[in-house]
Order: sequence, then C-alpha cells, then structure tokens
Amino acid sequence: MIHLYSKEVEKILLKVQKPGRYTGGELNSIIKDKDKVDVRFAFCFPDTYEIGMSHLGMKILYSQFNSYDHIWCERVFAPWTDMEGLMREKNIPLYALESGDPLTEFDFIGFTLQYELSYTNVLNMLSLAGIPLLSKDRKELNNIVVAGGTCTSNPEPLADFIDIFFIGEGEEVDLEVIELYRKCRNENKSKDEFLKLAAQIKGVYVPSLYKVDYNEDGTIKSFAPTNGAPETVEKRIIMDMDNVYYPYTFVVPLVEIVHDRAVSEIFRGCIRGCRFCQAGFLNRPVREKSKKTILEQCKKLCESTGYDEVSLSSLSSSDYADIVGLLTCLTEWSDDCGVSLSLPSLRVDGFTDDIMSKIKTVRKSGLTFAPEAGTQRLRDAINKNVREDELLKTCHVAFSGGWTNVKLYFMIGLPTETLEDVEGIAKLGQAVVNEYYRCEYRTKGKGVNVTVSASSFVPKPHTPFQWEAQDTIETILNKQKHLKESITTKKITFNYHAANTSFLEGVFARGDRKLCKVLLKAAEKGFHFDGWNDCFDFDAWMQVFEECGIDPAFYASRKRSFDEILPWDFISYGVSKEFLKAECERAYQSVTTPNCREKCSNCGAACYKGGVCVEKRQNMVH
Amino acid sequence: MKNVRIWFTKEYECKYISHLDLNRCMLRAVRRGGLPIWYTEGFNPHPFVTFPLPISLGIDAKRECMDIRIVDDTYDITQIPSAMNKYLPRGIQVFDATYPQLDPKYICFAKYSAQLSADGVEDKTLKEKILDLTKLDSVIIQKKSKAGMKDIDVLPYIKAMDFKFDNTCSFEVILPAGNTKNVALPLVIKAIENNLSLELNYSITKLDMFTEEMKQFL
Repeated sequence: MIHLYSKEVEKILLKVQKPGRYTGGELNSIIKDKDKVDVRFAFCFPDTYEIGMSHLGMKILYSQFNSYDHIWCERVFAPWTDMEGLMREKNIPLYALESGDPLTEFDFIGFTLQYELSYTNVLNMLSLAGIPLLSKDRKELNNIVVAGGTCTSNPEPLADFIDIFFIGEGEEVDLEVIELYRKCRNENKSKDEFLKLAAQIKGVYVPSLYKVDYNEDGTIKSFAPTNGAPETVEKRIIMDMDNVYYPYTFVVPLVEIVHDRAVSEIFRGCIRGCRFCQAGFLNRPVREKSKKTILEQCKKLCESTGYDEVSLSSLSSSDYADIVGLLTCLTEWSDDCGVSLSLPSLRVDGFTDDIMSKIKTVRKSGLTFAPEAGTQRLRDAINKNVREDELLKTCHVAFSGGWTNVKLYFMIGLPTETLEDVEGIAKLGQAVVNEYYRCEYRTKGKGVNVTVSASSFVPKPHTPFQWEAQDTIETILNKQKHLKESITTKKITFNYHAANTSFLEGVFARGDRKLCKVLLKAAEKGFHFDGWNDCFDFDAWMQVFEECGIDPAFYASRKRSFDEILPWDFISYGVSKEFLKAECERAYQSVTTPNCREKCSNCGAACYKGGVCVEKRQNMVH
Repeated sequence: MKNVRIWFTKEYECKYISHLDLNRCMLRAVRRGGLPIWYTEGFNPHPFVTFPLPISLGIDAKRECMDIRIVDDTYDITQIPSAMNKYLPRGIQVFDATYPQLDPKYICFAKYSAQLSADGVEDKTLKEKILDLTKLDSVIIQKKSKAGMKDIDVLPYIKAMDFKFDNTCSFEVILPAGNTKNVALPLVIKAIENNLSLELNYSITKLDMFTEEMKQFL
C-alpha cells in the first residue's frame, strides 16, 4: 500500500499539531490512477481541514466530479501556521490530500469562497503551491484558477487573481467548464481562447474580459465587457432538487472536525426575505427536496459513512412546507437504527411541540434562536418578522421541555438602529430569563443561562442594504459598551464580535478591483487566516491600505446613492434592483414584506419558473 | 454479557491520529457494525470501551487491541472484523476478535521495530554512533511526569536495541510497557538525539505485547 504523502512530508508530520489533517487516507476518500484520468481538479478550501471538511458544498462537488471516470477531484486545505512554516522551510509545495501531488500538477485549482476574510488564504495557498498569484502571469492552458461560492456575488476584489468565477450553484456550470477545457486542450487552444469561450457559458464570469473605468471620486464610471463576453452574468440555479446530484457517501475524517455528521440538504433558498441576509436573496426562489428523496439520502449516507447523526441543512429548517411530515417519516427510520436527528436553523416561530418531540436527543445541548434585533421596530425594519411574544412562547415550550440553555443571536449596527434598539437586546434577554422563572414545568433546581451574542452587521451585495454605510468601528464599540452596561443579570452571558474584523469583512464584501493590489500586498507580507484571532492583525492591515493609497472607509463606511454603479451590478441573481430599492425604502419606514408563501412580492425570481414561485399558495389563516 | 477483545492494526496515515480520534473511529464502527455493545448505566450512558495499552501518535501498530462488552451472548464474534471494517479507514483494520484470556494489567513489555535516519549522515555511521553510546555510564533524559520533571537513564534500552546486520540503522527492541512501568521509544530516541546533537527521523512499528514471562498477550 502506498503512502499518499511524500517522504518529506512524513518527516515533518510529527512536529505539527494534529498531523491527521495532512495525511488523507480517510474512509471513502477517492483514489484514482492519475495516468487514467483526463482532468485533475484540486478543490481548495481556504481554511483549516476541520472547517473545510464540514462544508457541504465541497462534499457535493467532490463526489459529483469524481462520479466521472475521467475527472479526479482531490481536496486541499490551508495548512495551519505551524505546518505552513515547516513546509516553507523545507520547500514542500502545497499538495492535495488524495495523491500527495503538488497543485502545479492540476488542470484546475478551484477555491470555494465562503468568507471575505479567507481571501488572503486563497492567495497564500497559491503561493505555497508556487503558482503565480496573478491571472495574467499564468499563461498556459493548465493550473486554471477558478472560484465559486457565496462570495462570488461580488468577485471584484479577487478579479486579478482568479481566471474564472462561477456564479450561483455549481453542479452544472462547473462540469460544462471542465468539458470545454478538455475540448480546448484537445484542439491546442490557448488559455485566452479558452477563457473567451468559457465566458459564453451561463453562470461564468471571466474578470479579465471586462474593463472598468472610474470617476474621480473613486466610484465606477463604466463597467464594460470585451471580446463578446456578456454584459450581465446570470447565476446558475438548479430547479429540480430531487434529481440533482447528491452524494450517497461522505469522506469520513480521521480527526474530529466541526460538523462531524451526515448532512441532508432539505431545500435551497429561503421564503423570508430578511433584508440583511445575503443568502436569502442569492438563493431565490425556494426549491424543496421531496420527503422521499431526503429519507433516501439520509439512509444511504448513514449506511456508507457509519455516522449516527444526521443534520438537516437549509437556511430555515422549520420553513420546509411539510416539516412535521418530514420529521415523522425521518424519525420512524432514525429511531429504528439509532440515528439521531438535528435540526439547525430553527426560526423562533417554528419551534413547536410537534417539532420538539421529534428531535429529542439524549443530551440536551443549548437551543439557539436569532431574533437579530432588540425592538419590534427594528425587527420590522429588517423584515425579521418575529414578535417578542412568539420568542417568549417558544422559550416557554423549550423550558417546559427541559432545556435550560438558550442562545440568542443579535446583530448590532443594523440600518436605522438607535441606542434604544441596542438596549432592547438586553431587555429581550431579560424577558427570556423572566419567562424561565414563570415557567411552571421548568427543570427544578436548575438555573437558566441565556447567552446573548451580538455580531456586527456587515452590509452585503445583492441585499436591500447594499447601499448602506456600515457602522464605524467607534460606533460599534460604543454600542457594544452600551449593551454590556444594559445587561444587569448574571443569568445572561454576553458575547460579541471584534468590531475591526467586521470592518475588514465589510471592505472586501463591497469592494472593487482596486482592492486587488491591497490583497496582493497582504499576500506578499504573508497574511493568512485573517478570520482567526490568532493571526488577524488590524494595524498591519491598515498599514497595507496606507501603502496602497486606498481608504478602506470608502468601501465600508460610505453610503451609496441608488444610482451609483456598484461593482457587482453586472451579476444577476434573478432579484431586480428595483425590488431591492423598494425593500430598502420599506426598511426606512419599518414596513415588513410578507414571506414568499404568504404573498408574492414580485422580486423577480419567478423568472426561473419554479420552486415556491409556482407552488400552490394555501390561504393561510393569520 | 461477555467481554470481547478486538484486535486491529493502526498504520499508514492512521498512525497520525490521536487516541481520542481512534476512539471515535472505533466506536463509530462498533455501533454501525451492529455489535450488541453494552452501554454504561450512569447519567450519561456511553458504550463501554477500554484500550489495554493505548498507542502513542506517530507509531505504526500491527497488533493493537480494544476491549468491549457485549450484551448478546449468542452473538457470533467471528463476524466482528467484517462488520467493523466496512466503516474503518484503510489504516485501521480489525483482523480478529477473541474472548480475553489475560487482564490488561499483565501487559509488561512491548516489542518494536524501528528505523532511524538523520539528514546528511550515512545510516551505517549513525548506527555506529548509537552503538558508541552504549560505552557511556548513563544516557540521561528528562521526562515529564505527574510529579514534575524526572531524570531517566535510557542506557539499558539503548543496549537492548537489536540492530540488523546490514547497512541500515534498523533495530528491534523490547521495552517495558503497561501500567506499572512504561518507556516510550520516542523518548529513548530523543535521548539519542540530545547526545549525538543530531536531528533524527524515525519510523517505529509496535509489533506485539507481552507478559512479564514474555508470553504473548492474548
């Protein structure tokens, strides 16, 4: 039996923490004969093994690509700093886990972009592999660097580095591009010719084919395609969730990862339309999998992996049209074979007795709800559509059911927020504590612990708040302080996010191409793992911005006018800009918008002619 | 209710996983393999599993064992290897399941084979240098123990190294192992490193476990 990693790697493995992250060889990992495959695809996750291996998108595409005999898709993760240090010292290039081969041997190097602060990891991984960072410096038709994932909704800050961005869902477009590559290579076409042809595929964005001009104030003057590339890049979307590829097996990690369990995706999209939520707008319309498909997939996954826990994945699980029916048929199977079900992303108004009784697990860990804002006015402004009495009722149900830990997620820095709204967070936390002691059937002899977590709001592209100014670091710090002082009980644990991390996230979330030089400089300075407190150095970042002559506040803290050309305007997710503007106006007036099942608000996503847009609407009684 | 000893290997990439991860891996295979395992009856019921002599990270193992308790006395334990291997990575493979003949406390020795190398030093030379150490009065290394740092003389263990008659720096060695006295081979190698001022690469394979009378642990 061969060792997957090289002798050089073996020499350093015992000198690093958790070496099991760097060896491959897990159950169900796919080994092929490299001489018998036609296309080699390195699927790179720009974070640690534990984070990347928990990511469903990677599992889906890994299995799907490998279901073709001529493609070998392998996994690559960002080595932690100790491993990176030794790899650089011993000149070991970044390698893929299945073959142990360096990334330079791959046709495609694909990144999934889930988080803006992982951009430096993308560049650092290329650099560790000895691959030129800039797209223009990679001239041959190999080592094509592609990227997909949520953050491609504004790909511009990475425009100089990535050859091809995939917009929307990857199951179809990725394979179309791989096929085009094979054809171009057979016909001895150049990389440039390949890119021009690729740009014609729906859902593909080739940044080098677009020309951007700027006004004197730094805003965009024009954004124009060249070489026949489309003016608008349309997202790709899978409409038939029952027949789209879904893996029947996962790679089972040898070391513990963040989410070490089987996952079944029950639907994509979200009916709610919370105005801050990017995923809710990017993934419209809601498309559900049938109960039969979900059950089938859960069974197969547990059988092939040995997992005894299944998590149902979606943006808001309790919004699955027939959630009780689904849980009933799943629990019939899971009770039978000792599998436990977990249901993340539960809405406050979705946690009913019915659901609770179905997901009872042996150990009662905490329940998590996300009211997002402290007062009704602000919850209406962000269209969260959750009322305080609903939250308290839900907590009552949970407390009666034996739970004593409740986590509440909030955001501070939301548009139109005042200090009163911030105080409202503390008051709501207190109200939950009081509800516990009012609850007759609470666990006797035990106190309650309410965790209040406040993250800082970052305006994201393609949402109604895409024009908003993000709160400055000072404002956030003040609000955090104010909130901390408003909490008077020890039953509430208060957590909050570092304000300067959110600031940097905001800069890259709504950045343009001018930020490429900032990222390049950051990469040259060896920045990595900016999403991790151990590595994030805010002052060093500000230094880089200064050296590049770029003011980060231009991107984060500036309110845009509705008629400004935004860097991501050329991408269409099916939701019209008019709708986003109207939603923004409604936010200012604290007027809510009904969810997709109650009433269609004509966002534009009906253009995909499927999902919830064509669902028969029941006359729901409210 | 019966105790069952499950015998397995831990090799290749799987030598790099910790005891905790090994435990998780094995438990998953036990549960999904449908073994009628006994759960503890405390506040948090969990499968009852013990490892008679856990192996350290980084060492290949040819004959490891894990003890479980099964509740169904009619269960045919010969099906255990195939039932579990389906859910195990290639580096961890169950090859036998037996009823334990000896209590884990009787484990006294473990036998290893090892190969050493150092960048820039010929294996043959390295071997000679190590053999030279046996002429010393003692080879001391500090070991962290519960009571703080402790000096240990590893000279007897270096003397016990049975080198192969070839040009490699490979040997077999039997070291104390178990509850009462345990000497880790990497510690002995560390002592050699310190004495020779060399950085050593090693690959170690744990071959077997023995009782005080040097009978195979069964």
